[in-house]
Amino acid sequence: MATASELLPYKQIREDLFRPLSSVSRSYVLVAILALAIGASGFVAWSYQLRRGMGVTGLQRPVYWGVYIVDFVFWIGISHAGTLISAILRLTDAAWRKPITRAAEAITVFALMIGGMFPIIHLGRAWLFYWLIPYPSSRLLWPNFRSPLLWDLTAIMTYVTGSVIYLYLPLIPDMAQLAEHNTPWRRALYRTLSLGWTGSDREWHALERAMKLMAGIILAVAVSVHTVVAWDFAMAVAPMWHSTIFGPYFVVGAIFSGIAALLLAISVLRKVLHLEAYLTRHHFNNLAKLLLLMSLLWLYFTIAENLTVWYGNEPKEMAVFGARTRARYAPYFWIMVLLNFVVPFVLLGIRRLRTIRTATIASVCVVVGMWLERYVIVVPTLANPRLPAASGLYTPTWVEIAITAATFAAMAMLYMIFAKLFPIIAVWEFKPHPQEED
Amino acid sequence: MYLIGEFHEKDSAAAAIRLLRAGGITPAELDLFSEEPVELPRGVLDRPSRMSLASVLGAILFGLVATSFIYWSQHDYKLVTGGMPLFSFWATGVITYEMTMLGAIVATFSWFLWESGLIRKRDRNAPVPEVDPGAICLRVRCRAEQSAQAIEWMRRAGAIEIERRGTE
Amino acid sequence: MEHRWGMAIDLDRCTGCEACVVACHAENNLPISSPEQGAKGRTAHWIRIDRYYEGEFPDVKVKYMPVLCQQCDDAPCEPVCPVYATYHNPEGLNVQVYNRCVGTFYCANNCPYTVRYFNWFAPEWPEPLQLQHNPDVAVRMAGVMEKCTFCIQRIKRGKQDAAQDGRPLADGEVQPACVQSCPAEAMVFGDLNDPQSKVSRLAQNGRATRLLEELGTKPKVFYLQKVK
Repeated sequence: MATASELLPYKQIREDLFRPLSSVSRSYVLVAILALAIGASGFVAWSYQLRRGMGVTGLQRPVYWGVYIVDFVFWIGISHAGTLISAILRLTDAAWRKPITRAAEAITVFALMIGGMFPIIHLGRAWLFYWLIPYPSSRLLWPNFRSPLLWDLTAIMTYVTGSVIYLYLPLIPDMAQLAEHNTPWRRALYRTLSLGWTGSDREWHALERAMKLMAGIILAVAVSVHTVVAWDFAMAVAPMWHSTIFGPYFVVGAIFSGIAALLLAISVLRKVLHLEAYLTRHHFNNLAKLLLLMSLLWLYFTIAENLTVWYGNEPKEMAVFGARTRARYAPYFWIMVLLNFVVPFVLLGIRRLRTIRTATIASVCVVVGMWLERYVIVVPTLANPRLPAASGLYTPTWVEIAITAATFAAMAMLYMIFAKLFPIIAVWEFKPHPQEED
Repeated sequence: MYLIGEFHEKDSAAAAIRLLRAGGITPAELDLFSEEPVELPRGVLDRPSRMSLASVLGAILFGLVATSFIYWSQHDYKLVTGGMPLFSFWATGVITYEMTMLGAIVATFSWFLWESGLIRKRDRNAPVPEVDPGAICLRVRCRAEQSAQAIEWMRRAGAIEIERRGTE
Repeated sequence: MEHRWGMAIDLDRCTGCEACVVACHAENNLPISSPEQGAKGRTAHWIRIDRYYEGEFPDVKVKYMPVLCQQCDDAPCEPVCPVYATYHNPEGLNVQVYNRCVGTFYCANNCPYTVRYFNWFAPEWPEPLQLQHNPDVAVRMAGVMEKCTFCIQRIKRGKQDAAQDGRPLADGEVQPACVQSCPAEAMVFGDLNDPQSKVSRLAQNGRATRLLEELGTKPKVFYLQKVK
């Protein structure tokens, strides 16, 4: 299949990819206002929660973790888009990755920024979150490094640092180009951020070497981050959380939802920025196949997780299992199976049905399905504790829903701002390379 | 003084570099400018790098610092742990690991800034050519008496245009 | 370790009267929830009576089980707290330091007995209950976790009194509010390090079991129950 880089002259590539930066359309402004409004309602909800107390959420004894933790795991999962696509494909030198890496890396950074907010939002005393950070304080107390929440903190810090650098490095040459002809404030911005990049071979060599190393490091970090998120649950002695499979299960789920988010993002970008010549059927086809693979892998883990519990028939675990599959949370569970497996399997597994449109539909389903998956993992376990007399029920309130909606708006907003400041496809990487032409 | 030769072919740039190096000009005096990475055959203009080593050393350093930090803070604040070990090596293994990786990331990025010359410009007065898309510019630093010879080499290798910059 | 506090609860004696719950509320300044909040599971009772039903209607037997913090020796709540708000004090109690707590909820999730309670709102008392606050116990702010302390304020007072008189603390001298108020005398509190104490002898009793012992938490509350 001919890739765009062989067909399009370089001048046009550059124009196509730099053009979206300079103009703002009416629909852009409308969507931005909508996103701001939803985001603002989330802030109102959060300030209400801070002022009144955690009682404004649906949390109660014994369901102490609810939608906030679901959102946390969900967004950290979405952040795996960038690392998988970009790092794995970069390490394996897959040429088709080139137009999608930056879109993926940007998702990683923004999803992490959003996901990283949730451990703070769900704190009983959110204004004291910095007590988790080790520093010589007046309290004369260091944090407890044994706590999985401290593991989370370090893992996410490392991941944010790494993914920002990983997004930033390949942006440098593009920003140096953008600095050449531009409005004054943009020139100042790009010139500062590109650190005086001249395009010398020393710089190119260092950049390529750094990207190779960073790809390897970020892959190791990404796997560990979602494993640690899983361990937040698995380290607790709660039934159906205390499971050795949780680390890899969560990593697979994260990559699964990450690919879905990426597919969704590029299909929106393709339409909105008119990048049909760059994000072709080829890319969607490849990503759809990856999504299908991850869907099957996810199904395998889900069966491995639930079948062993069901066959083991241990009463405490069966209480959770029953709540998940037969009682109160059964609708969530079976919709999750439908969205995460049945829909992608039919739409992407049958070759005739696998188009850009169906891939987009399937990825919307997977994003929703993976959110439900986290809900089904977090809530039923807590609602059915070891002492049956202490069981409880949980329904989220408007505060939690507003904050959740606000994070989706924040993702849209951050992505829209990013797309106006930086080319969403790495221009220098996209240029026809001599070694690829033959 | 500096000479800047513009090439349109990667092979002619490589040939020019070979000739210049045979004539006694070191790789440190040569710089290649382009709008995209140019891959030259091995041995033409290699830029040896210690980035992997730096990254490993950074990882080891951060990992050790993190482990000893945890060790000391847990021993400085001896809490009754109810039968759990005071210095919890395995339970803090994740932190050690993440800090090790952070060390690798920080070291790689710092080394990149250093090695690429972005924060360490060797000579700030060196001219930077404006490279046209698809073109390759070769910057040669040489003494004035060498320059005629260098121009001749570059021209023979296929330079489209050669420019002299700087005095001395 | 001078003392190692423990409790024995005789389930065959418990009538489920909930006097212990009320006494605990009064002693420990527990907030009073409104009926609406109570229906949402927002009540805070450091000791609660779990009810279990045996048999089919109308031939139903109710079993009562007072559940309070089991003061585990290997407490699952402790290692997971990132800020050391819950930790093991030298007398083997799981102590909750309210001022350190940031409210991650992790301890409560990891407690197999579900005996940790959260302050969902700033605490409130309907008039005139705010006048009967115990001055020895802090009132907890919104956003922190709390739980049974084995009435640590009474333990401290007892030790002080004994030290002042220059005598060792006698068995049964210190009683938490729940133990003191139990009309059936189903609850016994004392020092497990003293082999002659009443609680130590009850802990050796053949009827003694510990709740969810199989998890390896080493609880210090013993439930006495005829094993059928």
